[in-house]
Amino acid sequence: MRTESVASSRPFYGFRAFLWTEVLVQAHENLAMATSMVVQGVLLVFVWILDPALIGVALLGAILFSMFAMGQRVLNEAAYIRIDHKATDLYLAGPLSPEAYFLGMSTGILIVYLTPVVLLGVLAVEVVHFSLAVGALLLVLSAIVWLISASIGYVFSTFFRDNRAIWAYASLFFNIFGVLPPVFYPFDKFPEGLRSVVLLMPPSAAAAIVQHAIGATTISSGQLMLAATGLGVEVCAIFLFAIYWARRTVRES
Amino acid sequence: MTGEALRSEQLRKVYTTRGSPPVEALAGVSMEVRRGERVALLGRNGAGKTTFLRIASTLLRPTSGTIEVFGHDVARTPERVRPYIAVVPQEGKPFFHLTPREQVYTYLLARGLSRETAKSRTEEALGRMGLADFADRLAITLSGGQRQRTMVATVIATEAPLLFLDEPTIGMDPFARRAVWDTFRTLTTRGSTILLTTHYLDEAEALSHRLYIIEGGRVLQSGTAEQLKRSVGGTLKVALAGAAGMTESFESFGSVIDDGEHLSVIVSPERLSELMELALRAKVSVTVGPVTLEEAFLRVVGRSINED
Repeated sequence: MRTESVASSRPFYGFRAFLWTEVLVQAHENLAMATSMVVQGVLLVFVWILDPALIGVALLGAILFSMFAMGQRVLNEAAYIRIDHKATDLYLAGPLSPEAYFLGMSTGILIVYLTPVVLLGVLAVEVVHFSLAVGALLLVLSAIVWLISASIGYVFSTFFRDNRAIWAYASLFFNIFGVLPPVFYPFDKFPEGLRSVVLLMPPSAAAAIVQHAIGATTISSGQLMLAATGLGVEVCAIFLFAIYWARRTVRES
Repeated sequence: MTGEALRSEQLRKVYTTRGSPPVEALAGVSMEVRRGERVALLGRNGAGKTTFLRIASTLLRPTSGTIEVFGHDVARTPERVRPYIAVVPQEGKPFFHLTPREQVYTYLLARGLSRETAKSRTEEALGRMGLADFADRLAITLSGGQRQRTMVATVIATEAPLLFLDEPTIGMDPFARRAVWDTFRTLTTRGSTILLTTHYLDEAEALSHRLYIIEGGRVLQSGTAEQLKRSVGGTLKVALAGAAGMTESFESFGSVIDDGEHLSVIVSPERLSELMELALRAKVSVTVGPVTLEEAFLRVVGRSINED
């Protein structure tokens, strides 16, 4: 027996290699990369026309929205490989661990689609002039929003048997969570009675914290605590569940 | 490690879907595959071949029964099995936005091979599959057969100890199929074991050391192609054109297959001349050929392999 291909199936085994695979795959999708900023771009134009003073808030929101929208790409990619290409079996019936497959795919997508987000970041620095601490906060919150949405995207991808159904639901889900709540506009413009709800939604919770950090919104310390705690709990719970789910769904029942 | 690559005992799989009656895809399949063997699962569509392969390759939970790969329980410890196996899934396609070279190479890296080994195995597999000229074209621009060759190249390059191949040559031209067969033979001489499903009878016969004929989730017969053909009752097949309805006249020579238009008689060489005389007297034109797996399959299953 040839033994050099025999490796132990360890947690996160093959992560880097599958990440590289996904980067190569996504890097060929030039048009998708170019159009990944359309929604954010259109909303930024709206804000610019309606109230140019809010463009800084909108730019920071666009960054967080972009990170959140990557979950939709993970959802589409995971479902596409499984349903259209039937190639998930090729990868998972082998030493590549399921969590490495999920996280490699998500990180590969992140790397490729990060370029336009960085451009938004440069614009935000120019417009908002925020401190290094706020920059670091934005980075951490962006990472949390990405991890939550990538995890949700991967888990959701396992529920569908038809890609057409995904297009409708994914767009609905990511727009309701990413566009409707106060992500592109200040938190204090949102109806007061519903503020607690949006503080439990990852993109708007992150946006509220960043807006508070740059002094662009009014938010109580209790609300700030709710947003931060919510994000912390959500990222841990959802990411760990996604790992569990990735392992569980390797085998169909 | 056991001497067997795979062993299953009374493996059952029942699919249950809400609102639909349960479907028993496997009804107690027992089989063994020894190391270095090429074994084919032969059956019609829906016979249970793919279900068996998906359970064996850790991708589907069995309802009951046991299955082991290199002594590891597939149901209980799939993570111990996975490093030893590689799978060509049925109707699987490579990433459309990778080239065959990238597809094979990155897949080997994801399995933990070093860059040097991955590179040399990639080139070897691409060469074997006749993909060298297309190796740097995106898979989306390749034909269906070339994509399937890419999938096979991806998996054979692993040289995994146990390869599961679900209809591996589907969509390939005859030359490519033969190149794939040669590669499979080489792999088993190097120590790999191959379990494949096919409904190409010539492929099953040319390629496998042993065959399992599956129908309705059960193994109906197993053995070498020769053993299966011998079980038909003779080594020659005599096709009698225009003799439909004359079954009784030829029954004494061996088993008779009447498809409504032609009559075929399975006969031993010793009785061939006698049968020929009778046929000529009845002014029936005669074609003599060897018994093929098709007759064996027909006898065992009662239907043609292509019949749905």
